[in-house]
Amino acid sequence: MTASDLQKTFQDRVEQHKKILYKVCNVYCADRDSREDLAQEIMFQLWRSFWKFDGRCQFSTWMYRIALNVAISFFRSERTRTRHVFSDEERLLQAVVEPDRQPEEIQLLYEFIAELDPLSRALILLYLDGNQYQEIAEILGISETNVATKISRLKSRMKQKVGTKKG
Amino acid sequence: MELDILKEKWAEQDRKLDTCIRLNQRLLVAVETHRWRTPLRLFALFSGMGAFMGLIPLMLLGQFIYAHWTEPRFALPAVALDVWVIAYVAASIRQMAMALQIDYNKPIVLIQKQIENLRALRLRVLRWALLTGQLVWWIPFLVVMLKGLWNVDAYKILSLRFLIVNLALGLALIPAAVWVSRKFGDRMDRSPAVQRLMRELAGYNITAASDRLASIAEFQQETND
Repeated sequence: MTASDLQKTFQDRVEQHKKILYKVCNVYCADRDSREDLAQEIMFQLWRSFWKFDGRCQFSTWMYRIALNVAISFFRSERTRTRHVFSDEERLLQAVVEPDRQPEEIQLLYEFIAELDPLSRALILLYLDGNQYQEIAEILGISETNVATKISRLKSRMKQKVGTKKG
Repeated sequence: MELDILKEKWAEQDRKLDTCIRLNQRLLVAVETHRWRTPLRLFALFSGMGAFMGLIPLMLLGQFIYAHWTEPRFALPAVALDVWVIAYVAASIRQMAMALQIDYNKPIVLIQKQIENLRALRLRVLRWALLTGQLVWWIPFLVVMLKGLWNVDAYKILSLRFLIVNLALGLALIPAAVWVSRKFGDRMDRSPAVQRLMRELAGYNITAASDRLASIAEFQQETND
């Protein structure tokens, strides 16, 4: 495969799974410029690792792993990071619908996610995206039973949060 | 509201995303040119450069120690400096190796543990380099430099009392710097750089890294309700 073929394949694959990029950025960054900064960093890491993608797992599994690893590291170093301000032409990821204009339920979900630690954010995102427990376990590097236990706890926490809001 | 109901809403929203978001293809092509942009790669590069730069004083100090082996008053300060430089070079090589081993393609818990271990090591190295550096890079360095460069005996031109007092002050500065940093570090809001340095000296950031490692271990641990 020539370099341009590889680039074309990469672009097509990423285009097919761009939603992963969008959701990971929204889950880990509150403001638009940080989301863009993170999106570019994820994209760079994806491209840098693409030659190692051997198809033994699904492309989405591979993409989640890299995107979440970059996002968690980014999230932890964000306090000390130099912030960039991006113009519209400089934005890799552009959305017509911003999270704060989303339905109330989705906003509630984002609020709940924002209260979680970085690893639990990854877990809940993978769960909401409809991944099987086995896939989640594979991406996170923990056992399936552990995934099930943690999801059950998150469900209880969510119930509690909604209960408190109503009360 | 149940998480499973919200999951359905999430899926509904997800279906709309395909038409709502777009990737800038021009920028997508441009990402491959920023080869050294990522913090980890830069960190590995700087650690490698630090180790390489450390080799120069190592060679010079080796020569000096060999030439003054029979004169402990010159050889001992050079040995102290040499030990400091060897520790610094070894720590830089270790950090570089750890940074290069991090592969984002591996499971998240494993990679986050590696990153946090690297961060903790970096903070420990920085803290001890600052605390002990002021000790070896003042009086021992002065003695070695004067003798090595100009063949001047520091013990003769400076009084022995001056050398001992300075050395003792350097030693006393280690616990004093830690104490002052712990006491006043959080109050230095107006100067973020000084505050960061004081937090490093106080060891707060090492504690934070250890806490993060503990929370990763807790996440990995299988517990039953």
